[in-house]
Amino acid sequence: MSQTAATRNPGDRAALTTLFVAFLKVSICGFGGGLVWARRIVVEQTQWMSEQQFAETLTLCQLMPGPNVVGIAVCVGAKLRGAIGAITALAGFILLPWTVGLSLGALVLQYAQLAVLQNILHGLSAAAAGLLIATGIRLLLPHRARPVALLFATLAFAGMVFTKLPLLVVLLTLAPISIAATAFGGVRA
Amino acid sequence: MNIFSPSIVLAAHLAVLSSISFGGFPTVLPDVHNLTAANGWVTDREFANFFAVSQVVPGPNMILMMSFIGLKVGGIAGAIASALATFAPPCAMYFASYTLWDWFRDRPWQRIVRRALAPLTIGLVIAGGYVMARAADTGWPSVAITAAAVALMLRGRTNPLWILIAGGTLGGLGGL
Repeated sequence: MSQTAATRNPGDRAALTTLFVAFLKVSICGFGGGLVWARRIVVEQTQWMSEQQFAETLTLCQLMPGPNVVGIAVCVGAKLRGAIGAITALAGFILLPWTVGLSLGALVLQYAQLAVLQNILHGLSAAAAGLLIATGIRLLLPHRARPVALLFATLAFAGMVFTKLPLLVVLLTLAPISIAATAFGGVRA
Repeated sequence: MNIFSPSIVLAAHLAVLSSISFGGFPTVLPDVHNLTAANGWVTDREFANFFAVSQVVPGPNMILMMSFIGLKVGGIAGAIASALATFAPPCAMYFASYTLWDWFRDRPWQRIVRRALAPLTIGLVIAGGYVMARAADTGWPSVAITAAAVALMLRGRTNPLWILIAGGTLGGLGGL
């Protein structure tokens, strides 16, 4: 890393290898909180983006479907080196971790019949499900004073869990109504 | 549907889902669960296992989870197809919108759309957690682990990794 930084003039276009390694790091470190590491590397360490630019990019990514951190990788890569940069950052983020993760995971799953391992996996998935529920609840807290928001969160939950409708149907039904309600009803914070 | 191999059906379905996965990939878990259960591709237990393993491997865990399903359905080719279907469509959108960002960043409608979609995605995230909890549910001990994980995570003072390790350890010791 330090060698790459020394051979590169500041303000020069970022080397593709640096970009690859940076997002490999985000991917490996980003356990449960990839965004924290993405900001640290992109804003503080490499200064590829200012704080303001990073915040705007994050806003953009939150507006789009898909994993937000992957979106950050694509946007940072695109900013620095265009399409090839986006692909490089993405490859750094996915290629190695995916290969290693799939191999390791497939190995573990081979032995999933073993009683001990099966029990461990059960405990893990029960805990991981809890983390997901808690994440949702935390996201909901800032909206707790808005009945409309609570209503639509409940409808989305019920639509998926109880009716077993496809997500596309649920979203195409609820999104326009929610947008209309937000546009007409609430200019309030 | 039978004309196509299960891998292709799965990948095509995932490509649609990833294109509408506002709020991240956990929001599509209930839909994926319905699809795989309806086709008999993956049992509840396997679905929960894939989820568990993908959560403890560092890296892009939802892409990995979909790859485990692809692996089960269609071998290594199925795994690669699932991974591509999971990240390629959103990435194309990210790239396109990043180049258009200057045009729509200050439009009032993007604020309204964001505020309107937020509650929906939150409901979907909780639905994802609920469906996974049901898939992992083998009786009251697993429900208790889920409830404890929710409580600890909400208190916000524990690293999620420790909560996962504690869940795995309790499972291994207690024999869920």
